[in-house]
Amino acid sequence: MATDHELSEFLKSTERRAFKRTAFAVRDDEAALDIVQDSMIRLAEKYADRPAAELPLLFQRILSNATMDWFRRQRVRNAVVQNFSQFETEAEGGEFDLLETLQLAEDSVSTESAADSVGRAQILIQIEQEVSQLPQRQREAFLLRYWEELDVAETAAVMGCSEGSVKTHCSRAVHALAKALKAKGITP
Amino acid sequence: MSGIRPSEAGIIRSPNPDALAARIGLRIARGLSERSDALPHDVTERLRVARMRAVDRARELRKLSAAPAPQQQRGGTFVISGPPSWWLRLASLAPLALLVVGLLFIQSSYVDQQVRAAAEIDAAILTDELPPQAYSDPGFAEYLRSPHSVE
Repeated sequence: MATDHELSEFLKSTERRAFKRTAFAVRDDEAALDIVQDSMIRLAEKYADRPAAELPLLFQRILSNATMDWFRRQRVRNAVVQNFSQFETEAEGGEFDLLETLQLAEDSVSTESAADSVGRAQILIQIEQEVSQLPQRQREAFLLRYWEELDVAETAAVMGCSEGSVKTHCSRAVHALAKALKAKGITP
Repeated sequence: MSGIRPSEAGIIRSPNPDALAARIGLRIARGLSERSDALPHDVTERLRVARMRAVDRARELRKLSAAPAPQQQRGGTFVISGPPSWWLRLASLAPLALLVVGLLFIQSSYVDQQVRAAAEIDAAILTDELPPQAYSDPGFAEYLRSPHSVE
């Protein structure tokens, strides 16, 4: 059973990422804060007796479900017109070569370290913008896999899809991000 | 790769496309982490308050589940909580038993009544002037059906 301290530390470690991930999805900071708060309360009410090691996956599931609930409520109210085409997985351009990007990535450390703080902040903002523009499923898979550092099986469990779909979403997301950032002169 | 976390060094150094994708993904995620460290103060405060509320809620629920269940009289009202004791279960069966006993009694008295009625008929037939054998005689039966018998 997770102690109060463990629960608090876990929430503290994940709350910012949870907020940003939700804000990417709902594109509304206030709503994202509400969703994160509800998810924290739900975790505390229903799963506080679980071991601390189980909390991350449980919280990600709760957060994903709460986000989907928010979208459902919004649809009912007709307050948000959601672009369902974003749920479709679109084929990326075949001409993009990830290896080419990675060749350039070798120099990225020196590029980043040479940049001044303002320039770096600009790069981070652009990265964030590009992530927010990913199709929803790709973005969710990418963030769970690389930001929350869940493995493929855990990501699939949270997203409610197969492991193969997670790999496909992640691969497409990484390709799309690398391509978009490269086009802006940023080497990921 | 399903059981391996992307941050593991081996995957990053290996030359396969998955590892290369993971490497880029982790770099981008690192950028996102840096960006999320600079959230506005009001957002971080709301997150802190939400976290504290959640922890308080968990603490309250733990206290509630740890407290012994009240099962005693309070101002004349008996409070039932927790699993019912054996005599409560027995008491809940009493009305059913009463119902079964009542039904048995009704059936017994009904059968008794039927027997008494049949005995009365038999006694009436046996004490009549007409012998009982007369009712099995076809001629007497015909006489009873004839219009004269009505008169």
